[in-house]
Amino acid sequence: MNLRIAARLAIARIIATKTRSGLTMLGIIIGVMSLIALVSVAQGATSGIQDQFKGLGARNLTISGNTTESLTIEDASEIAKLPGIDVVSEQVSGNATASSENASTRIRVIGVDVDYETIVEPDIFAGTFLANTDFAQDSRTIVLSSALATSLKVDASIINETISVGSTEFTVIGILDDANGFGNQGTAYVPLQTAFRYFAVPPYLNTITVQTTSEELVPLVTTNLSRLLSSRHNITGDRDADFTITDASQLLDAIGTVQQFLSLLLGGIASISLVVGGIGIMNIMLVSVRERTREIGIRRAIGAQQSQILTQFLIEAIVLSLLGGIIGVIIGEIVAYFLATLGQWNFALSPTMILASLGFSMLVGVLFGVWPARTAARLKPVEALRFE
Amino acid sequence: MAAVVEMSKVSKTFGDGTSIIRALDGVDLKIEKGEFVAIVGPSGSGKSTMMNLIGCLDRPSNGVVKIAGEDLSMLNDKKLTELRNYAIGFIFQSFFLLPKTTALENVATPLLYRGVHSKEAKKKALSMLKKLGMSDRATHGPTELSGGQQQRVAIARALVTEPSLILADEPTGALDSATGKQVMDLLTELNQEGITIVLITHDLDVAKRAKRRISLKDGKIISDTKGAA
Ligand SMILES: Nc1ncnc2c1ncn2[C@@H]1O[C@H](COP(=O)(O)OP(=O)(O)OP(=O)(O)O)[C@@H](O)[C@H]1O
Ligand SMILES: [Mg+2]
Repeated sequence: MNLRIAARLAIARIIATKTRSGLTMLGIIIGVMSLIALVSVAQGATSGIQDQFKGLGARNLTISGNTTESLTIEDASEIAKLPGIDVVSEQVSGNATASSENASTRIRVIGVDVDYETIVEPDIFAGTFLANTDFAQDSRTIVLSSALATSLKVDASIINETISVGSTEFTVIGILDDANGFGNQGTAYVPLQTAFRYFAVPPYLNTITVQTTSEELVPLVTTNLSRLLSSRHNITGDRDADFTITDASQLLDAIGTVQQFLSLLLGGIASISLVVGGIGIMNIMLVSVRERTREIGIRRAIGAQQSQILTQFLIEAIVLSLLGGIIGVIIGEIVAYFLATLGQWNFALSPTMILASLGFSMLVGVLFGVWPARTAARLKPVEALRFE
Repeated sequence: MAAVVEMSKVSKTFGDGTSIIRALDGVDLKIEKGEFVAIVGPSGSGKSTMMNLIGCLDRPSNGVVKIAGEDLSMLNDKKLTELRNYAIGFIFQSFFLLPKTTALENVATPLLYRGVHSKEAKKKALSMLKKLGMSDRATHGPTELSGGQQQRVAIARALVTEPSLILADEPTGALDSATGKQVMDLLTELNQEGITIVLITHDLDVAKRAKRRISLKDGKIISDTKGAA
């Protein structure tokens, strides 16, 4: 008896006991469904973030000083002379207390130059970002992050009104739309020279952001930057550099790692329910073997080998789990599609994920089908025939 | 040529220690090709135990059982199974058709187990059902057949492998006398075609149809008579 006949027997049996088969498969269906849905959430949610970063920063390099006195304005102007660089932007930061009429909070004030907007392209919720005139006059104008606006209990009506930062009055000209951004809690932006006057000590910079002329040049420019700054800062031999250069690829790698971790974590949780589903199949198969002891005896009497009985029951377990897996994949993808619509990320069928799920459910069928199948195959023909 | 069944000093015991049961106790028996043997005896006398040995479903505790020349004690489970499949056709008291399986599939199954292609097996099964007048019931399941019809399907299943021996345990036990007689007529006919038949029965009228009667009591053969009763 070949596998095709064993498979046909298994399918006939599953159809003949529809309700029981359905309930038996339920564990696998739920397991595979949650596996597909959860992993798609992990991937969808993080790939949304990844896309945002790709759009922004593929050409950007950020140089941060490891101490407050590592980078200088002079470094920035030397960097600007390197080939392959479009824009160089300087940033400083300091801490202060900001107060509106309603509330006050500690904030981080970031002084940015005129090129900052070109590189970072901040989204504006209300008002405008710092304009050329603000930079020219080193004016006391300020842009709030959305988190800061919330902390200060102000809304769009604060535009063109003042808040105090430290002991100085600043005119609010914009609020950012950065609700989903990172690290912008309690952050405000002012012109660079204004920051130097009130919150920071020239000529030191916190960060220098560089935009290369093309994405392909990022590695080369990184090397050149590192060489230039090392020689300017007298970094030789064993001395550790006092600056760090990061590009988007590192950030994307980091997000990728988070994505993998999330997928593994959620997938792992879902796999547990798949294993529980497997135990359900084993349970029902054991009951089934017991109920069908007489039938097994008849089959053995008329010439079924132990291996053929084993195959029949093993295939039955595998067909059950695989069928459960297929149904689970279909439902899981539908759920994933709706979650993607809700979460506004791209829905994509992942053939790898589907094949892995089906492979895994088949494996569950094999693992949990072996014991019942062996039990069936090892029944003694005489005793199986006598069984009532 | 070897005898179909050959038993010498065969014992079969169950359990051990003080509760030991001697189901068969030193049985010598030889059944040649073409015989029609009835095994009779009271309940518990060892008839089914003997049938299990002749049917290669079990091995003796002591002594030698040879079926179609093969010593059962020398065969592993795989060979025993092959011997059942190739040499023996079983007919049981309660038919023992495979549940939820059509008459045609029931008859084809022993052929599938020996590796015959499904199409070929079905063709042979159908012609065997036709021979037994059951071809119009080929697609019916056991629950859609009367007792007599089920036994005919079971006989078709026993015959489809062209066995050298038909082993029937109370084949008429669950049938009314008219249907039972039809089944016995069929077995007689098969015997006339040259098939060896071993029949186990309580019913002396049924036993009379055999050419040879063996009586068992307490696991021993107490009489062995040949010729019409
Ligand atoms: N598997 C077993 N385990 C223990 N004892 C058994 C087993 N099979 C048979 N026996 C015992 O062996 C003896 C012979 O049993 P067997 O079934 O061969 O009798 P039988 O002649 O077929 O009786 P019946 O006409 O009632 O079917 C009985 O005492 C029975 O209890
Ligand atoms: Mg009996």
